[in-house]
Amino acid sequence: MTTWLAIVGVGLVTFLTRASFILFANPHKFPHAFRVALAFVPPAVLAAIVAPGLFMPAGAFDATFSNPRWIAGLVALAVAAQTRNAVATIATGMAALWVLQWALR
Amino acid sequence: MLAGTVPFGFVAGVACVAAGMTAFESIALSLFTFSGIAQLVTAQLLAAGSPLAVVIVAATVLSLRHLMYSAALSPHVAHLSARWRVLMSYLMTDQGFAIGVKRFSEPGDAANREWHYIGFGLTLFVTWQAAVVSGAVAGAQVPTTWSLDFVVVLSFVSILAPVLRTRADLAAAIVAGAVALAAAGLPYRLALIAGSLAGIAAGVFYERVRSR
Repeated sequence: MTTWLAIVGVGLVTFLTRASFILFANPHKFPHAFRVALAFVPPAVLAAIVAPGLFMPAGAFDATFSNPRWIAGLVALAVAAQTRNAVATIATGMAALWVLQWALR
Repeated sequence: MLAGTVPFGFVAGVACVAAGMTAFESIALSLFTFSGIAQLVTAQLLAAGSPLAVVIVAATVLSLRHLMYSAALSPHVAHLSARWRVLMSYLMTDQGFAIGVKRFSEPGDAANREWHYIGFGLTLFVTWQAAVVSGAVAGAQVPTTWSLDFVVVLSFVSILAPVLRTRADLAAAIVAGAVALAAAGLPYRLALIAGSLAGIAAGVFYERVRSR
Protein backbone atom coordinates (compact mmCIF):
# COMPACT_ATOMS: atom_id res chain seq x y z
CA MET A 1 0.00 0.00 0.00
CA THR A 2 2.80 2.40 0.92
CA THR A 3 4.36 1.65 -2.46
CA TRP A 4 1.25 2.73 -4.35
CA LEU A 5 0.74 5.82 -2.19
CA ALA A 6 4.37 6.72 -2.87
CA ILE A 7 3.92 6.16 -6.62
CA VAL A 8 0.90 8.47 -6.73
CA GLY A 9 2.39 11.00 -4.28
CA VAL A 10 5.73 11.26 -6.07
CA GLY A 11 3.87 11.47 -9.38
CA LEU A 12 1.85 14.35 -7.99
CA VAL A 13 4.82 16.37 -6.67
CA THR A 14 6.87 15.85 -9.82
CA PHE A 15 3.92 17.08 -11.90
CA LEU A 16 3.11 20.03 -9.63
CA THR A 17 6.70 21.33 -9.57
CA ARG A 18 6.81 21.12 -13.37
CA ALA A 19 3.40 22.75 -13.79
CA SER A 20 4.03 25.40 -11.09
CA PHE A 21 4.66 28.41 -13.31
CA ILE A 22 3.67 27.02 -16.69
CA LEU A 23 0.16 26.34 -15.47
CA PHE A 24 -0.55 28.09 -12.19
CA ALA A 25 1.56 31.13 -11.35
CA ASN A 26 3.34 34.08 -12.86
CA PRO A 27 6.98 34.09 -11.70
CA HIS A 28 7.05 37.87 -11.86
CA LYS A 29 4.56 38.02 -9.01
CA PHE A 30 7.11 36.44 -6.70
CA PRO A 31 9.76 38.46 -4.83
CA HIS A 32 13.07 39.03 -6.57
CA ALA A 33 14.90 37.04 -3.87
CA PHE A 34 12.81 33.99 -4.68
CA ARG A 35 13.75 34.14 -8.36
CA VAL A 36 17.42 34.63 -7.47
CA ALA A 37 17.24 31.50 -5.29
CA LEU A 38 15.50 29.54 -8.05
CA ALA A 39 18.40 30.19 -10.40
CA PHE A 40 20.71 28.24 -8.08
CA VAL A 41 18.45 25.21 -7.80
CA PRO A 42 19.85 23.30 -10.80
CA PRO A 43 23.57 23.59 -9.93
CA ALA A 44 22.89 22.85 -6.25
CA VAL A 45 20.55 19.88 -6.70
CA LEU A 46 22.59 18.34 -9.51
CA ALA A 47 25.86 18.66 -7.54
CA ALA A 48 24.21 17.14 -4.45
CA ILE A 49 23.24 14.16 -6.62
CA VAL A 50 26.61 13.85 -8.38
CA ALA A 51 29.06 14.28 -5.47
CA PRO A 52 28.04 11.18 -3.48
CA GLY A 53 27.88 9.15 -6.70
CA LEU A 54 31.52 9.99 -7.36
CA PHE A 55 33.07 10.08 -3.90
CA MET A 56 31.09 7.52 -1.93
CA PRO A 57 30.10 4.69 -4.28
CA ALA A 58 30.34 2.15 -1.45
CA GLY A 59 28.69 4.38 1.17
CA ALA A 60 31.85 5.84 2.70
CA PHE A 61 33.93 8.79 1.48
CA ASP A 62 36.74 7.54 -0.72
CA ALA A 63 38.92 9.89 -2.79
CA THR A 64 41.79 7.42 -3.20
CA PHE A 65 42.87 5.39 -6.22
CA SER A 66 40.90 2.40 -4.99
CA ASN A 67 37.78 4.29 -6.06
CA PRO A 68 37.91 4.87 -9.83
CA ARG A 69 34.56 6.68 -9.95
CA TRP A 70 35.64 10.13 -8.83
CA ILE A 71 38.51 10.12 -11.35
CA ALA A 72 36.24 8.95 -14.19
CA GLY A 73 33.66 11.51 -13.06
CA LEU A 74 36.13 14.40 -13.16
CA VAL A 75 37.25 13.30 -16.63
CA ALA A 76 33.59 13.26 -17.70
CA LEU A 77 33.01 16.69 -16.12
CA ALA A 78 35.93 18.11 -18.10
CA VAL A 79 34.53 16.60 -21.31
CA ALA A 80 31.06 17.92 -20.48
CA ALA A 81 32.42 21.43 -19.84
CA GLN A 82 34.39 21.40 -23.10
CA THR A 83 31.93 19.74 -25.46
CA ARG A 84 28.48 20.24 -23.84
CA ASN A 85 27.78 16.88 -25.42
CA ALA A 86 25.96 14.18 -23.42
CA VAL A 87 27.07 11.31 -25.69
CA ALA A 88 30.73 12.29 -25.42
CA THR A 89 30.42 12.81 -21.65
CA ILE A 90 28.80 9.47 -20.89
CA ALA A 91 30.96 7.51 -23.34
CA THR A 92 34.20 9.04 -22.00
CA GLY A 93 33.11 8.58 -18.40
CA MET A 94 32.20 4.91 -18.86
CA ALA A 95 35.39 4.23 -20.86
CA ALA A 96 37.46 5.92 -18.16
CA LEU A 97 35.72 3.88 -15.46
CA TRP A 98 36.29 0.59 -17.24
CA VAL A 99 39.95 1.37 -17.95
CA LEU A 100 40.53 2.44 -14.35
CA GLN A 101 38.71 -0.59 -12.97
CA TRP A 102 40.95 -2.78 -15.10
CA ALA A 103 44.15 -0.85 -14.36
CA LEU A 104 43.57 -0.54 -10.59
CA ARG A 105 42.51 -4.12 -10.09
CA MET B 1 20.59 14.20 -25.97
CA LEU B 2 19.06 10.74 -25.91
CA ALA B 3 22.41 8.99 -25.43
CA GLY B 4 22.16 8.69 -21.68
CA THR B 5 18.44 7.98 -21.72
CA VAL B 6 18.51 4.32 -22.70
CA PRO B 7 21.08 3.09 -20.17
CA PHE B 8 19.76 5.47 -17.48
CA GLY B 9 16.17 4.27 -17.99
CA PHE B 10 17.32 0.67 -18.02
CA VAL B 11 19.19 1.21 -14.75
CA ALA B 12 16.13 2.93 -13.22
CA GLY B 13 13.99 -0.08 -14.17
CA VAL B 14 16.53 -2.54 -12.78
CA ALA B 15 16.94 -0.48 -9.58
CA CYS B 16 13.21 -0.44 -8.84
CA VAL B 17 12.91 -4.20 -9.20
CA ALA B 18 16.11 -4.72 -7.22
CA ALA B 19 14.63 -2.51 -4.46
CA GLY B 20 11.71 -4.92 -4.12
CA MET B 21 9.09 -3.32 -6.35
CA THR B 22 7.23 -5.47 -8.86
CA ALA B 23 7.82 -4.80 -12.56
CA PHE B 24 4.26 -3.43 -12.75
CA GLU B 25 4.87 -1.01 -9.87
CA SER B 26 8.20 0.05 -11.37
CA ILE B 27 6.54 0.85 -14.70
CA ALA B 28 3.65 2.64 -12.97
CA LEU B 29 6.14 4.79 -11.03
CA SER B 30 7.87 5.64 -14.29
CA LEU B 31 4.61 6.62 -16.01
CA PHE B 32 3.44 8.70 -13.05
CA THR B 33 6.72 10.56 -12.49
CA PHE B 34 8.71 10.44 -15.78
CA SER B 35 11.73 11.52 -13.74
CA GLY B 36 14.75 9.28 -13.43
CA ILE B 37 16.16 10.70 -10.23
CA ALA B 38 12.74 10.72 -8.53
CA GLN B 39 12.24 7.08 -9.56
CA LEU B 40 15.66 6.01 -8.25
CA VAL B 41 15.31 7.82 -4.94
CA THR B 42 11.75 6.57 -4.42
CA ALA B 43 12.89 2.99 -5.01
CA GLN B 44 15.86 3.37 -2.67
CA LEU B 45 13.80 4.97 0.11
CA LEU B 46 11.00 2.42 -0.16
CA ALA B 47 13.56 -0.38 -0.04
CA ALA B 48 14.94 1.16 3.17
CA GLY B 49 11.46 1.14 4.68
CA SER B 50 11.20 4.93 4.83
CA PRO B 51 7.93 6.56 5.88
CA LEU B 52 5.76 7.87 3.06
CA ALA B 53 6.28 11.51 4.11
CA VAL B 54 10.06 11.15 3.77
CA VAL B 55 9.71 9.73 0.26
CA ILE B 56 7.46 12.61 -0.78
CA VAL B 57 9.69 15.31 0.74
CA ALA B 58 12.81 13.85 -0.89
CA ALA B 59 11.08 13.69 -4.28
CA THR B 60 9.88 17.27 -3.84
CA VAL B 61 13.34 18.66 -3.08
CA LEU B 62 14.86 16.81 -6.03
CA SER B 63 12.09 18.21 -8.22
CA LEU B 64 12.75 21.81 -7.12
CA ARG B 65 14.83 22.31 -10.24
CA HIS B 66 11.61 21.88 -12.22
CA LEU B 67 10.31 25.06 -10.52
CA MET B 68 13.16 26.94 -12.10
CA TYR B 69 12.59 25.36 -15.50
CA SER B 70 8.87 26.05 -15.23
CA ALA B 71 9.47 29.71 -14.38
CA ALA B 72 11.87 30.10 -17.30
CA LEU B 73 9.54 28.49 -19.84
CA SER B 74 6.29 30.07 -18.63
CA PRO B 75 6.50 33.37 -20.59
CA HIS B 76 7.04 31.43 -23.83
CA VAL B 77 3.99 29.21 -23.40
CA ALA B 78 1.54 31.60 -21.72
CA HIS B 79 -0.45 31.96 -24.97
CA LEU B 80 -1.14 28.22 -25.23
CA SER B 81 -4.27 26.49 -23.95
CA ALA B 82 -4.24 24.87 -20.51
CA ARG B 83 -4.39 21.42 -22.11
CA TRP B 84 -1.14 22.00 -24.00
CA ARG B 85 0.49 23.46 -20.93
CA VAL B 86 -0.48 20.34 -18.93
CA LEU B 87 1.20 18.20 -21.58
CA MET B 88 4.29 20.43 -21.63
CA SER B 89 4.51 20.27 -17.85
CA TYR B 90 4.30 16.50 -17.83
CA LEU B 91 6.99 16.23 -20.53
CA MET B 92 9.43 18.54 -18.72
CA THR B 93 12.88 17.06 -18.13
CA ASP B 94 16.38 18.44 -17.66
CA GLN B 95 17.19 17.72 -21.31
CA GLY B 96 13.80 18.90 -22.59
CA PHE B 97 14.21 22.18 -20.78
CA ALA B 98 17.69 22.69 -22.22
CA ILE B 99 16.38 22.03 -25.77
CA GLY B 100 13.24 24.09 -25.29
CA VAL B 101 14.80 27.18 -23.76
CA LYS B 102 17.41 27.26 -26.54
CA ARG B 103 14.73 27.10 -29.26
CA PHE B 104 12.45 29.61 -27.54
CA SER B 105 15.22 32.19 -27.22
CA GLU B 106 16.42 31.99 -30.85
CA PRO B 107 15.75 35.06 -32.99
CA GLY B 108 13.17 34.98 -35.76
CA ASP B 109 9.57 33.87 -36.11
CA ALA B 110 8.29 32.85 -32.68
CA ALA B 111 5.21 30.95 -33.90
CA ASN B 112 4.79 27.24 -33.24
CA ARG B 113 8.05 26.89 -31.35
CA GLU B 114 6.36 24.72 -28.74
CA TRP B 115 6.35 21.86 -31.26
CA HIS B 116 10.09 21.56 -30.99
CA TYR B 117 9.79 21.07 -27.23
CA ILE B 118 6.78 18.76 -27.48
CA GLY B 119 8.35 16.66 -30.23
CA PHE B 120 11.54 16.22 -28.25
CA GLY B 121 9.55 15.53 -25.07
CA LEU B 122 7.48 12.80 -26.71
CA THR B 123 10.58 11.19 -28.24
CA LEU B 124 12.29 11.23 -24.87
CA PHE B 125 9.15 9.89 -23.19
CA VAL B 126 8.86 6.87 -25.50
CA THR B 127 12.60 6.14 -25.32
CA TRP B 128 12.64 6.47 -21.55
CA GLN B 129 9.58 4.30 -20.89
CA ALA B 130 10.82 1.58 -23.27
CA ALA B 131 14.17 1.57 -21.46
CA VAL B 132 12.51 1.41 -18.02
CA VAL B 133 10.23 -1.45 -19.11
CA SER B 134 13.16 -3.45 -20.45
CA GLY B 135 15.11 -2.79 -17.26
CA ALA B 136 12.19 -3.75 -15.02
CA VAL B 137 11.50 -6.92 -17.03
CA ALA B 138 15.09 -7.98 -17.66
CA GLY B 139 15.90 -7.27 -14.03
CA ALA B 140 19.43 -7.92 -12.87
CA GLN B 141 20.67 -9.77 -15.97
CA VAL B 142 23.49 -7.30 -16.61
CA PRO B 143 26.69 -8.23 -14.76
CA THR B 144 27.46 -5.73 -11.99
CA THR B 145 31.11 -5.59 -13.15
CA TRP B 146 29.90 -3.45 -16.08
CA SER B 147 29.05 -0.76 -13.49
CA LEU B 148 26.11 0.37 -15.62
CA ASP B 149 24.71 2.27 -12.62
CA PHE B 150 27.49 4.82 -13.19
CA VAL B 151 25.56 5.97 -16.28
CA VAL B 152 23.09 7.63 -13.90
CA VAL B 153 25.82 9.75 -12.30
CA LEU B 154 27.32 10.56 -15.70
CA SER B 155 23.92 11.65 -17.03
CA PHE B 156 23.76 14.20 -14.24
CA VAL B 157 27.38 15.25 -14.82
CA SER B 158 26.44 16.03 -18.43
CA ILE B 159 23.55 18.22 -17.24
CA LEU B 160 25.55 19.82 -14.40
CA ALA B 161 28.44 21.19 -16.50
CA PRO B 162 26.32 23.50 -18.71
CA VAL B 163 24.52 25.06 -15.72
CA LEU B 164 27.82 26.16 -14.13
CA ARG B 165 27.96 29.49 -15.95
CA THR B 166 28.98 31.93 -13.21
CA ARG B 167 31.14 31.82 -10.10
CA ALA B 168 27.98 31.95 -8.02
CA ASP B 169 26.73 28.80 -9.81
CA LEU B 170 30.07 27.18 -9.05
CA ALA B 171 29.84 28.20 -5.37
CA ALA B 172 26.34 26.71 -5.19
CA ALA B 173 27.53 23.44 -6.73
CA ILE B 174 30.66 23.10 -4.59
CA VAL B 175 28.84 23.80 -1.32
CA ALA B 176 25.97 21.49 -2.30
CA GLY B 177 28.37 18.68 -3.15
CA ALA B 178 30.46 19.17 0.01
CA VAL B 179 27.43 19.27 2.31
CA ALA B 180 25.88 16.25 0.59
CA LEU B 181 29.11 14.34 1.33
CA ALA B 182 29.52 15.66 4.88
CA ALA B 183 25.90 14.88 5.77
CA ALA B 184 26.03 11.38 4.29
CA GLY B 185 25.48 9.85 7.73
CA LEU B 186 21.95 11.25 7.95
CA PRO B 187 19.12 8.77 7.44
CA TYR B 188 16.62 8.72 4.56
CA ARG B 189 18.99 10.34 2.08
CA LEU B 190 18.50 13.63 3.92
CA ALA B 191 22.05 14.48 2.80
CA LEU B 192 20.68 15.09 -0.69
CA ILE B 193 18.17 17.56 0.71
CA ALA B 194 20.65 19.22 3.07
CA GLY B 195 23.21 19.55 0.27
CA SER B 196 20.68 21.03 -2.17
CA LEU B 197 19.41 23.62 0.29
CA ALA B 198 22.92 24.56 1.45
CA GLY B 199 24.00 24.98 -2.17
CA ILE B 200 21.07 27.27 -3.00
CA ALA B 201 21.84 29.35 0.11
CA ALA B 202 25.51 29.54 -0.87
CA GLY B 203 24.66 30.77 -4.37
CA VAL B 204 22.31 33.45 -3.03
CA PHE B 205 24.90 34.51 -0.44
CA TYR B 206 27.70 34.73 -3.02
CA GLU B 207 25.53 36.83 -5.32
CA ARG B 208 24.57 39.14 -2.47
CA VAL B 209 28.14 39.69 -1.26
CA ARG B 210 29.41 40.27 -4.79
CA SER B 211 26.72 42.79 -5.72
CA ARG B 212 27.32 44.86 -2.59
